[in-house]
Amino acid sequence: MKCKTLLIKNQIEELNRVVDYLDELGEEWDLAVPLIFSLNLVLEEALTNIILYGLDNQSEHIIEIEFKKSDDQLFISLIDDGIAYDPTQKADPDLTLSVEDRPIGGLGIFLIKKIMNQVVYSRKENKNYLMLTKNINV
Amino acid sequence: MNVTVTKSENYTLVSVEGRVDSTNAGEFEKSMLDVVAEGGNKIILDCSELNYISSTGLRIFLIVQKKMMANNGHFCLCGLQAGIKEIFDISGFSSIFKMFPDKESAI
Repeated sequence: MKCKTLLIKNQIEELNRVVDYLDELGEEWDLAVPLIFSLNLVLEEALTNIILYGLDNQSEHIIEIEFKKSDDQLFISLIDDGIAYDPTQKADPDLTLSVEDRPIGGLGIFLIKKIMNQVVYSRKENKNYLMLTKNINV
Repeated sequence: MNVTVTKSENYTLVSVEGRVDSTNAGEFEKSMLDVVAEGGNKIILDCSELNYISSTGLRIFLIVQKKMMANNGHFCLCGLQAGIKEIFDISGFSSIFKMFPDKESAI
């Protein structure tokens, strides 16, 4: 099992580092370009939520992003010390609504759930663990 | 990200290049709302050079669509790359935006 970890601060600009890191990881682990696009999106959605809503922006926090790869699965764990929040409990948006009735926003977590094959949340020792799994090479 | 606005007699063409994400969505929103505020009846957003969009960017598309519909205007998209079209499909956005393969057919 391959394993790598990236640590970022709770600032939106840090997402640019995540983009660069994923490009490098893609080359190193030979990941397909559409997969990197998907991982980019999933990580931005999850990290934006953590940075903007989970952590107070007055003080510096470190968010840990751990990547693991087996032959047919990619695992990403996000660990932060923000307020307890389980995104898997959020209701899915109603996609059948008309433009007028469709609320602005609320798509981020839905996209994560749709793109990844498994999304598991747990809270341990005052930290949020979001574990994401994607089947690859299928 | 780069946004280029070209005005013609019957429509305004907006071309967006690069990435629209949480780090620059505010800039994209301002550009789009400026175009809407000018009151043209038809906006075409050329996405052929748009490489990436997240939900922060999608919400701006929806805001523009709502504003244009409220004014009886038209907002359409053209040239979406496959990865972005997939995000639109997942989000249910493909059914609420008029999409064309290229700007010639959108005009």
